[in-house]
Amino acid sequence: MKYDNILTTCPFCGCGCKYYIQVVDGVAKSVLPCKEDPISEGHLCIKGWNAIDFVYSKERLTTPLIKENGAFREATWDEAYGLIASKFKEIKARDGAKAFGFFSSAKTTNEENYLMQKLARGVIVTNNVDHCARLCHASTVAGLAASFGSGAMTNSIPEVEDVDCFLITGSNTTEQHPLIGSRIYKAKEKGAKVILVDPRSIQLASIADIHLRQKPGTDVAWLNGLMHVIIKEGIADEEFIEQRTENYGEFKAEVMKYTPERVEEITGIPKADLIAAARMFANAEAASIIYSMGITQHTTGVDNVKSCANLAMLTGNLGKPSTGVNPLRGQNNVQGACDLGALPNVFPGYQAVTVPENREKFEKAWNMAEHIPESIGLTVVEMLNAAHDGALKCLYIMGENPMISDPDITHVREALDALEFLVVQDLFITETAEHADVILPGTSFLEKDGTFTGTDRRVQRIRKAIEPLGNARPDWEILCDVAKHLGSDQFVYASPKEIQDEVASLTPLYGGVTYERLDKEGYLQWPCPNAEHPGTVFLHNGKFSRGLGHFFPVSYKPPAEEPDKDYPLILTTGRILFHFHTGTMTRCSPKLNKEVPTGYVEIHPSDAEAMGIADGDLVQVSTRRGTIQIPAYVTRKVPEKTVFIPFHFKECAANMLTNPALDPIAKIPEFKVCACKVEALGESS
Amino acid sequence: MEQELKAHLKKLMASGDVAGIIALKSERGMAKPYLFADASELECLCLTPKYPMASVARLLLDEDGAARFAIVCRGCDERALRELAKRHQVDLDRLVIVGIPCDEEMARECACPEPFPSVVAVGTKLEQWEAEDIGAAYRAMELDEKLAFWKHQLEKCNKCYGCRNACPMCFCKDCELENALWVKHGRLPPEFPIYHMIRAFHLAGKCIACGECQRACPSDIPLMVLNTLLREDMEELFGYVSGTGADAENPLYTKEEMQ
Repeated sequence: MKYDNILTTCPFCGCGCKYYIQVVDGVAKSVLPCKEDPISEGHLCIKGWNAIDFVYSKERLTTPLIKENGAFREATWDEAYGLIASKFKEIKARDGAKAFGFFSSAKTTNEENYLMQKLARGVIVTNNVDHCARLCHASTVAGLAASFGSGAMTNSIPEVEDVDCFLITGSNTTEQHPLIGSRIYKAKEKGAKVILVDPRSIQLASIADIHLRQKPGTDVAWLNGLMHVIIKEGIADEEFIEQRTENYGEFKAEVMKYTPERVEEITGIPKADLIAAARMFANAEAASIIYSMGITQHTTGVDNVKSCANLAMLTGNLGKPSTGVNPLRGQNNVQGACDLGALPNVFPGYQAVTVPENREKFEKAWNMAEHIPESIGLTVVEMLNAAHDGALKCLYIMGENPMISDPDITHVREALDALEFLVVQDLFITETAEHADVILPGTSFLEKDGTFTGTDRRVQRIRKAIEPLGNARPDWEILCDVAKHLGSDQFVYASPKEIQDEVASLTPLYGGVTYERLDKEGYLQWPCPNAEHPGTVFLHNGKFSRGLGHFFPVSYKPPAEEPDKDYPLILTTGRILFHFHTGTMTRCSPKLNKEVPTGYVEIHPSDAEAMGIADGDLVQVSTRRGTIQIPAYVTRKVPEKTVFIPFHFKECAANMLTNPALDPIAKIPEFKVCACKVEALGESS
Repeated sequence: MEQELKAHLKKLMASGDVAGIIALKSERGMAKPYLFADASELECLCLTPKYPMASVARLLLDEDGAARFAIVCRGCDERALRELAKRHQVDLDRLVIVGIPCDEEMARECACPEPFPSVVAVGTKLEQWEAEDIGAAYRAMELDEKLAFWKHQLEKCNKCYGCRNACPMCFCKDCELENALWVKHGRLPPEFPIYHMIRAFHLAGKCIACGECQRACPSDIPLMVLNTLLREDMEELFGYVSGTGADAENPLYTKEEMQ
């Protein structure tokens, strides 16, 4: 008998917990926490503990499928590749590269994201490549890049334990990033202050020194209000502002318009609480802003992010340990998918496609005859819109499920059905894959090698623990095979290690990242430009990536859709501890699904009473986009006139309801606010 | 001790008496439970940090219905194996226990009642050892303070089930913590105090004070305070200390508990 423990990295959130997979004779038996891993320290959340369940699910796809006469039939890999190659060639010859779109995946490895954008840019020759970061932290990537020059979490997870004052907003940390949440508790035990700004009474509310419950979509107003108080009371960090930043005057003129009285009017946050929070944050030795989707998923997402950046600069909380602006990335490798250029505007390492030298560099490296377009490509939502309009004919989706994750699902369905050819590469026949012409069976984190980059820019290995199930193949191999069938000779790699070596040669951010070092050192945090560089624990030490930090004056704009007579409530959406995103992995995990087997709408007792709704009743929730039926969860977790729906559940999909209105810069949809109505159906679920 | 142990294990392996040795292996600078089947691999053997080795033994004995293994055991590992054997979860006849003692630092970290196994094969056990009474501060509290203490501690719970998953004594296939009759599904934190009370009471007569539950807890809930109090009750009420004495009958063990 052979028994071993394979060290790998968790495939769920962005914390980047490493743990062991206990393997007996080639079969994964269970997860065993790794006590020496610096992130998990031998602790895991419920998803981590159960991470192998979905891998062995009976629903796993283990052979390629081709749709014929409206039904899928099993196919060989050669048949599937042959069909893809002939359709791709036909469409490219007829409609050109602009008719193609590629959805890369925050669940797959860095190497696979690199290959996906290489396939798009180097073989089909389009910049139409994007992934679900568009739906979560596109506003972070754009906002922080503008303010600081680098669009990522400034500090590191272990530093959270030593923060003196937290501003946590739009992050339900204990549910979405449990191993960061647990560090907030540790810091609190050591005496840290906790300011929570969240409409909902989440678990962290019980340890918050101050809980501000803003009206959803009013974040710029309260952030400006905090800064107004800090400037007015003379507790800003003048030295930092003077030495490290620019454009302070213009910024100051804007925030001085946000008196606590005006902020109370817009946000509903009592004036006295706002003032107390401002003093608490500005007077702390090391203050840290932790945020997530509650800040980013708005039509003002970039404005919200820039405001967080402003607050950190105003109080000098950057470039030192346990401070910073800390966007928590939701997926295991959404940081890496961005880093590796699965974005329509940048090559790997955020090298802009609009810069001629960058295009030349990659055209040369990839031995290209054609030229990569100088204009940026389409984003996820724009690609679907283009498909809907008939301009985009062919879409290749790897490990994404827009039929659940994107706003306004009815529109998504119409867009997918309008495509001439859809390829989906996934572990399961997802709601999206059902619309495909060809489905390619990829592999889970247990069945392949590669790297993930966690939320604190931490590049770590995943290691193959078991052989791919059935005829499934590692996603990097599939991408190489597709490229080869399209005639490319630039996709020859013996293993993901060789792909990373190519990445390092073209990407200064990852220049010093090698498998040898990752094996020896456990992880490397970017920027890590060369073999001698130790990696970077926190960013902007002494100097911002862009030189000086830039203060952007930001004015408050209301959400795209506000409650009115017909739709009197605010709908906000999000995730829960027990499930992950579109539920593809967690709903086939018995222990996770048992905890929360279906969706629900959280509704305040006073609203429920006014509508004659009891806890557990089936109700109807409607917006201008659609209607769903869903059980009511009557709870004080939500404030009055606001309801919350987790988006994981296809049978009561929150995204049937959400508003596809976009942030003008980041093109992120406004998942966090729209107007809705709730009606009793008079039956219990 | 490490070199001495390697030599001891090499001899054991050469004797052909065991199919493999369950112990920690150092790989890329980190320890992991491993089944050593080849003497040359023993160079990578290491001793720390602690891992729940009794659970590994149970897994491997289940996977291979006949093989005999050696296992490097600390005091807590041996206590766990004994208590598991009383409940027919492991067959001690198929295990060769190679006992090693804990040093004072490790013993103190765990507040271990007995930081060495019954037979020490390699190393020297602590001569004088008295464990810290980790229930002392709690017992000194007033009733309302006790309630406030647990309310504060348990509302940090992340419902990861890590305390149960890490516990060498939690072997039930169907766990009452997951039974909606007792604990509402899907709530965070889980209902106070039933979730943690069920686990504590189910460990009465089982908990061998290894501390794995507390170490597995992301929220630093002092679960060993609960477990220590129950261990004390078991001793006071029934004169039973779990894990000690392979022949001592467990007063709370009934046939119905067998799975």
